[in-house]
Amino acid sequence: MKRIHKLPTFRIHPEQSLTVNFGKKQCRGVEGDTIATALYANDVRIFGRSLKYHRPRGLYSLDGECSNTLVAVDGVPNVRAENTPAVNGMTVNAQNVFGATPEFDMMRFMDELSWIMPAGFYYQTLHKPARIWPLAIKHIRKAAGLGVLEPDFRMKGKFDEVHISTDVCVIGGGPAGMCAALSAAQQGLRVVLLENRPWLGGAFEYRPSEYRNGLALYQRAKDLSKDVENTTNIRTFKNTAMIGSYNNGLVTAFQRGSKSEVFTERYMEIRAKSTVVATGCIERPLLFENNERPGVMQIGCAHRLARTWGLLPGKKAVFSIGHDLGIEAAIDLADLGLNIVAVADIRKDSYDSNLAEELEKRNIPFLSGWVATRAHGAKTVKAATISTINATRHRKFTCDTVVASAGMTPVTGPFTVAGGKLRYDKHTGFFLPYNMPPRMHIAGRILGLDDPLSIETSGRVAGLKAVSECGIPVKNLLRETQENLAKLTGPSRGTKLVSGPIKGKEAFICFDEDCTLKNIDQAMHKGFDVPELIKRFTSAGTGPGQGGIPGHNLPLYIAETGESPDRNPRPTTVRPPLVPTYLATYAGTNHDMSKRTPLHETQKAAGGRMERIGVWNRARRFSSDKNAENEIDNVRRNVGLLDASTLGKFRIFGPDALKALQRVYVGDMSKVRGDKVKYSAMCNEDGCLIDDGIVVKIGENDYYMTASTGRAGQTIEWIRYHTRYDGWKYHMVNLTDAYGVINMAGPDARKVLEKVTDADVSNQAFPFAGYREFSIQDVPVRAMRLGFVGELSYELHVPSSYMQSVWDLLENTGKAFGIQKFGLEAQNTLRMEKGHVIIGSESEQRTTLHDLGLGFLWYRNKPEAKTVGAFALKDTEHQKGRLKLVGFKMRDPKSRVPRDGSPIVDTRIRGYVCTARYSTAQKQPVGMALVDDYLSPVGTLIKIYEDGCRGNLMLAKIEPMPFYDPEGKRMRS
Amino acid sequence: MRLKSNSYTNGRLWGWNPPLKSSYDAVIIGGGLHGLATAYFLARQQKMSNVAVIEKRYIGFGGSGRNTAIVRANQRTQENIPLYKEALDMWPVLTRELDFNLMFYNCGNLNLAHSEAALKAMRLQVASAQFQGVQSHLLDPKGCKKLIPALDISDRPRYPIYGGMYHPPGGIVRHDAVVWGLAKGAAKLGIHIHQGTEVTGIGVRNKKIVSVQTDKGKIYTPRVLNAAGGYSAALSYEMLGIKLPISVLTIQAMVTQPLKPLLHHVVSSGAYHCYANQTLKGEIATGSHMDPWPNYTNQSTARYIKHQAEAMTELLPCLRGVKFMRIWGGLADMTPDMAPVIDGNNIITGYYMDCGWGYFGFKSCLVTGKYMAKFMADGICPGILKPFALRRFEQHRLMGETAAVVNYSPDN
Repeated sequence: MKRIHKLPTFRIHPEQSLTVNFGKKQCRGVEGDTIATALYANDVRIFGRSLKYHRPRGLYSLDGECSNTLVAVDGVPNVRAENTPAVNGMTVNAQNVFGATPEFDMMRFMDELSWIMPAGFYYQTLHKPARIWPLAIKHIRKAAGLGVLEPDFRMKGKFDEVHISTDVCVIGGGPAGMCAALSAAQQGLRVVLLENRPWLGGAFEYRPSEYRNGLALYQRAKDLSKDVENTTNIRTFKNTAMIGSYNNGLVTAFQRGSKSEVFTERYMEIRAKSTVVATGCIERPLLFENNERPGVMQIGCAHRLARTWGLLPGKKAVFSIGHDLGIEAAIDLADLGLNIVAVADIRKDSYDSNLAEELEKRNIPFLSGWVATRAHGAKTVKAATISTINATRHRKFTCDTVVASAGMTPVTGPFTVAGGKLRYDKHTGFFLPYNMPPRMHIAGRILGLDDPLSIETSGRVAGLKAVSECGIPVKNLLRETQENLAKLTGPSRGTKLVSGPIKGKEAFICFDEDCTLKNIDQAMHKGFDVPELIKRFTSAGTGPGQGGIPGHNLPLYIAETGESPDRNPRPTTVRPPLVPTYLATYAGTNHDMSKRTPLHETQKAAGGRMERIGVWNRARRFSSDKNAENEIDNVRRNVGLLDASTLGKFRIFGPDALKALQRVYVGDMSKVRGDKVKYSAMCNEDGCLIDDGIVVKIGENDYYMTASTGRAGQTIEWIRYHTRYDGWKYHMVNLTDAYGVINMAGPDARKVLEKVTDADVSNQAFPFAGYREFSIQDVPVRAMRLGFVGELSYELHVPSSYMQSVWDLLENTGKAFGIQKFGLEAQNTLRMEKGHVIIGSESEQRTTLHDLGLGFLWYRNKPEAKTVGAFALKDTEHQKGRLKLVGFKMRDPKSRVPRDGSPIVDTRIRGYVCTARYSTAQKQPVGMALVDDYLSPVGTLIKIYEDGCRGNLMLAKIEPMPFYDPEGKRMRS
Repeated sequence: MRLKSNSYTNGRLWGWNPPLKSSYDAVIIGGGLHGLATAYFLARQQKMSNVAVIEKRYIGFGGSGRNTAIVRANQRTQENIPLYKEALDMWPVLTRELDFNLMFYNCGNLNLAHSEAALKAMRLQVASAQFQGVQSHLLDPKGCKKLIPALDISDRPRYPIYGGMYHPPGGIVRHDAVVWGLAKGAAKLGIHIHQGTEVTGIGVRNKKIVSVQTDKGKIYTPRVLNAAGGYSAALSYEMLGIKLPISVLTIQAMVTQPLKPLLHHVVSSGAYHCYANQTLKGEIATGSHMDPWPNYTNQSTARYIKHQAEAMTELLPCLRGVKFMRIWGGLADMTPDMAPVIDGNNIITGYYMDCGWGYFGFKSCLVTGKYMAKFMADGICPGILKPFALRRFEQHRLMGETAAVVNYSPDN
């Protein structure tokens, strides 16, 4: 196919050629081509096959409203050919084709069978007899879907994200958007301008019609673009699709990187004080039989193919249009060499008679009140029938192209997704907003304006409205501009005809889902009477192009039939993303925001198996032994070191700090001392344990407290929430990351500590549950004697920056005593032998303090302030029928260890194993379980049902806890 | 085609605009799945067909048409498992009974574990299911990959896969089909479905239900069912002063553009807060977590779709090459223990509640409708529904359906 030699509106460089492989066909294109134009230039008319009926589909619009041009490119499915630049050597494949080329599809017989598949076909058939349905599913799944994605596919490219703040965000870089941007920028504001196409100019950009004083529209677009791009406080993002808008002025978008860019695509979040939507219009499809046959295309598509890419849409064309842009395009295309046999206009009047005269001058018949009713041709258009709207006369023309659209439809998604509400406007035939979201304004063709000056002035008005919202007084200027606009040509009268006189069996209201007008009628016969239900029943508007094709026509058609109880046409909901967006783009760089302790590298280098636990990375064990027996053994015999830095650590201080502590802790916090830790718990309103930790007094009205790792993130919020009405004076500081924690545990722990500090750490001077502050070689540490793992142990809270030094010192000093690191697995077994609980492991959401046997922590006579959960603790204290925490041993000591999580059963499920491990101290498996209270007395036999046991139960007996050192001599030693 | 029929006639699935009568034996508030199912079973099994379903918008407007239509019976507790097990068995039965294809796709559900703790939690779920005769078993990472070849089972992701729980009897159902099928079945048995009708008040005398006021007129009735989904708690409080422990949170879901078959099972991950399945049309539907703040709108957020893309592409890296094309929101009526409130005929005689389903409302609709109908006909709560009584919250006896402490928001 020969290209037009040269036009001032070209966006191609004909001298630079490139090759695109379409299946086995080599297509020669030029620099500046999209995939679609490169294929079109090589006479490719069928781009793929439709979803259900495998009808041939081709280039219809250039704005991405439908799936007609979705192709697979280098393994990526569903790539939109009309706005993806052609790259030399790329491999493009048609989709949903069963056969070698889209010209010959073995499934094309489906189109002949469409009559047996009325709307909702699947719902009403294929279930009788029941056995056919599972078979039918297999075939439906294979037939459905468009692109193919291989399970091992990996997306290439770089995906970034940017977050931009601005005063005004303008969506749409057409004349209205550019004028809005310039108006705002002239007032000194920062403006972000988003444009989906690779260039600015919108509906002016390709048109040679006169703007004013002999100046062509395309030249005006160039001038405006230059102004915009030379204005430094306007940041212009081309190739940028706006995809969502939300409250608080958040606009989301993504930008496709051009060749010179370092990113493939980038996700954008723009925070603006005010937003102008100037997204203009797309065309409202005209429905007739075979209205999606390759060769049928919209006005803008035909016109831009020629003006931007130098490609005439065909040789001989019939136009069936409902807007002056159609006549304008016909005149220009005729001048460029297209043979136009007729221009049918659905309007009986209200068209521009000057334009009609221009057609006459060129001997092109202009048929007012006529409309296309059928396109002929099995694969591509061979002829077209047009009829008068009242169906009295028909004419058939041989042609290879039908340029058709019923009118315009505004792109309102950018503000409806933010909550803007639409109403049908009789004059324009548009759905226009009666309720805009706050700080959003609209301008341009979206309002139904067609006059170039009106479009620009409306842009200025919207720009100035945005300016005043940014706090700059432009009242007079705004009024003046509004008065100017009022003097200019107002919105054009629009059309509301959806189709001419047709039966609608092959008139597609939605291309993507192969949904015809007849299908809509069928749905209405079934009683579906509102557009949303019809959309769901027929799938119209749920395909890759979403509502792009049927969005305007569906409600118009339904209202026209008078079937709906709601006579006001109401469009179906448009949802983000307004332009389909790669998951790669949304995911961006996908940062892993996990936290590492100050000892992360040391632990890792020592062979620590790091695991992600909540937000933290922690070492589970230091050898391949899953049970970490050596680590356990070493803590019991010698001394071990655990990195416990993930523990939550807080300071709470102020005159009312104690009251706050009394509120959230179940214990009597007035007893907290400076030299002794107090272990206490927090419950929620149901008396269920949510956190435990220690509290010490580090000064007057000044406390230091710990929270469990998983709970640390919520602690401050929890305390603030439960004291929100009290007006108490206290402050909290989260010290979780400021301090690291080393737990040194084992019978030789003191021997190690003595060697590194001058402080007296003897059992008399620093007894069990004591709290001391001293230095380890000039590093100030907070030390406490706790016994979570059941041995003599010191928990050292060390400023994070000194953690490494203190750890190394302890490790080196401890060598003589056989010191070794231990991880979470060892700690888990050690503490379990000791009967200590871990929240979430031995408790669940419904486990109260009493259920865990920790009721003694609750102090019921607090002098002031209600304790959170106290009522529930009282209510549930003697309640029957609850799960209680118990210890158990296997009836046969030689039995293997039951798996964690296994239910305990009789005729019903009576609880489950929380943690069970082999106890070296007891030389047999021991465990903790939550069981129904009647099973909790010591000596009761319980039955464990493991997954996959097929009824072979394991038997165990309830035993007293702890299993290790019941008197606590070792941790107190 | 100008059909102006007021009844169930030639081909209509359900009559629209039946006349609003001045009295019904029962009024069901909410034309969603639970309301329609109850209406259907009232007529079919309890022979009570003088019943009105009142729907403010159109049938299936709320959660019924906004969920991701996953069905399964591998719940955590023994109170729940029998209910969901029976529910799972009902899809083929109702397809036949309603003569409407509910499109039950029995593809099985794979739930991934990303830590030892998650595996332990799954072991309880798997064994509990097996103990109650529900198929479910644990898989190692390779077993998971065999089911879903696109899974990344390497240790590269932030939460590597430790194993999974596979539940073969589960799958997906076409949610809209259930709405329409039930409406069809109910209308055929004489139930009146009033769309576009809003309940504005409930009349109570001597602690007994006497009437329901709507914007189209007053209805005398001795029985009312609150099946208003996301709006049920507000309705209960505003019209009857009964406070329910329900937080209403937006939950979002989204679909990609359609693909040829890639996911042959439902796959979900607790650590990543997401699940995905491929619809019969080929879209990958994904969703999972609720917004963390209470809300009565269906609006989606920018944060969520981005989160979902991050999570999905870690689990299934090939999906980086697919595009999201639609996100939507729905309301989840969440109770503190994520189990529903099913109660009635006690605080106010004739007032029944079927709410607080959160995001379990879809899979439970048929079975709940069946027993709720019995409840409303007899006035006595059937045993299978008893564990869900409101009283459990007063007694601090939460159901164990969720193990971890749930904290929707500070003002929950």
